[in-house]
Amino acid sequence: MTAAALALIVTPLYAQTQIQTSIEASKAANIVRVAIPWPDTMLSTEAINGPFFAPLTRDIAGSGVFAIAPVPPNIPPNADLAKSANAQFVLALRVTAEEQDYVVEARLLDTTGAMQFGKRYRGTAPALSRIAHMVANDLVRALNGRPGIFLSQIAYASNRSGYYEIWLMDWDGANQRQISHHEALSILPSWSPDNDRMVYTSLGRGTSDMYIINRRGGGRIRLPTGVGLNTSATFSPISNDIAFVGSIAGNPDIYVIHDDGRNLRRLTTTTSIESTPEWSPNGRQISFTSGRSGTPQIYVMDAEGTNVQRISFEGEWNDDATWAPDGEQMAYTSRVNGRFQIRIMNLVTRESRIVAGEGSNEQPTWSPDGRWIAFQSNRSGRWQIYRMRVDGSDLMPLTFEGENKDPDWSKKAE
Amino acid sequence: MSKVVKGFICGLVIIAFVLVPACRSKKTTPPKVVPAETAESVPPIPTMTTTETRVTNPPDFVQTETQSPRVTTENLPADIEELNRVAQQRGYLQDAFFAYDESTLSTDAQSALTAAANWLKRNAQYNLLIEGHCDERGTEQYNLALGDRRANTAKEYLMTLGVDGSRMRTVSYGEERPFDPAHTESAWVKNRRAHLVIVGR
Repeated sequence: MTAAALALIVTPLYAQTQIQTSIEASKAANIVRVAIPWPDTMLSTEAINGPFFAPLTRDIAGSGVFAIAPVPPNIPPNADLAKSANAQFVLALRVTAEEQDYVVEARLLDTTGAMQFGKRYRGTAPALSRIAHMVANDLVRALNGRPGIFLSQIAYASNRSGYYEIWLMDWDGANQRQISHHEALSILPSWSPDNDRMVYTSLGRGTSDMYIINRRGGGRIRLPTGVGLNTSATFSPISNDIAFVGSIAGNPDIYVIHDDGRNLRRLTTTTSIESTPEWSPNGRQISFTSGRSGTPQIYVMDAEGTNVQRISFEGEWNDDATWAPDGEQMAYTSRVNGRFQIRIMNLVTRESRIVAGEGSNEQPTWSPDGRWIAFQSNRSGRWQIYRMRVDGSDLMPLTFEGENKDPDWSKKAE
Repeated sequence: MSKVVKGFICGLVIIAFVLVPACRSKKTTPPKVVPAETAESVPPIPTMTTTETRVTNPPDFVQTETQSPRVTTENLPADIEELNRVAQQRGYLQDAFFAYDESTLSTDAQSALTAAANWLKRNAQYNLLIEGHCDERGTEQYNLALGDRRANTAKEYLMTLGVDGSRMRTVSYGEERPFDPAHTESAWVKNRRAHLVIVGR
């Protein structure tokens, strides 16, 4: 608990005035302006801002659906406020305390004063930030028809406990908490499609083993595969298969195994090094890295191991391919002028672009709505996890303590 | 007749110890891995009179039970960490280094592993962990696979030199545990290796 509380204190707080959105002009026409005045409450600013109001406004600003309109002073939250703020909507919030609980009322009013959305939420103090994310999710769904991603989680590896272990955080970097406790190198977490479990690699037994753990840190099992290495494990989005890198006598290949340890299948059979499998969102294809051409390059094959095509041709080191949720784009790590950068390729046109940044930038992972990419960078001198929009804007560091890497964004929006 | 015997023993030498480049006609260096019993199983040839080709154990060939404990317990520390330090210091166990993005053995790496094989065969009571390591310039996931290949390349070479495969296991650390954390060419050279660690009996 202390560690979690400390992480929250270390994470900079974002007051409402700091919130900005930088949406491209072409998309700005579709953005809904919403004014969000300070909640109607008797509670202290400290009790409301950090746990509730700040995460809520961060979510709204990052939604890609709303832009936050500056709130003029001294106007009550009604239709007049929307007009004077030049906004389509006002989000009127009320927070009250009832015994141990906080009760949050959220109402979305249009310029006529009509309520377009209204909902009450109840929870204890530790649940306030969760309530904030739920309000934001509900607003996005109300306007967009699609759920927001504000309850999604990012799994990663952090060495702040002394060893790299598996950790989780909220999408905005809040609530960082340790999940695995091997006291040994534990890396490369990957979410199950139902957001309940993660699979990862740990060297806790002195060998390189695959483990599955639930998101609360319980139910940990080791999955014996019968082969070595057991790295880069990743759940199929449509079945109980796990793809991973297995090795027999120093020949790393892509393998698939059921999550109960049965039905091991070898998908690649070359003598070259294969690594880093990742399923396409429909589960029908697997991307991977292979050294078969002489340098590590990205390939795609059918999930049965057939129909192999080479995807990356630029540069002499490409790895970490990961599919966008729509399956039409792929992000991967690509070496450019001696540094690794995130490259985004359109799989239809095969055109790619670099999302440039300082330092080395590796291991991209897409948000469930495909609007954001989290990745690791050593631009500060140490490995930390960052989040940016797919066009590279709104860059934000998510981790600050120790070194942090191997981000994997949960697959489901909520 | 004696030619036939010579040829036969030379053949044994070649088979058993492939790295010895050629048989020498006189004072044949005996194979290190052929136990005396194998040599004795050569069909006896009554008319053989010469002793020139007699196979004798080399001085460092620890074969009998009376010799091996004396050699090891007297000179080697019992503590495994201390033993590893001493073994590296004295060159008994030398790591094999690799070129960038390579897992093939250079001649330097081969001679390092040959020295290690000789020591391991003399000290059969120890098991070996071979760690595969990479420099930081690659990506984490591919480097884990590359480290696995490096460790196994070293293991297989030690096996061809006569070290029992069941005594050895491998693990890949990829770029996770650099020996030199600096971001320089000289650090990268040190960090691309198969690292040999004695892990007890």
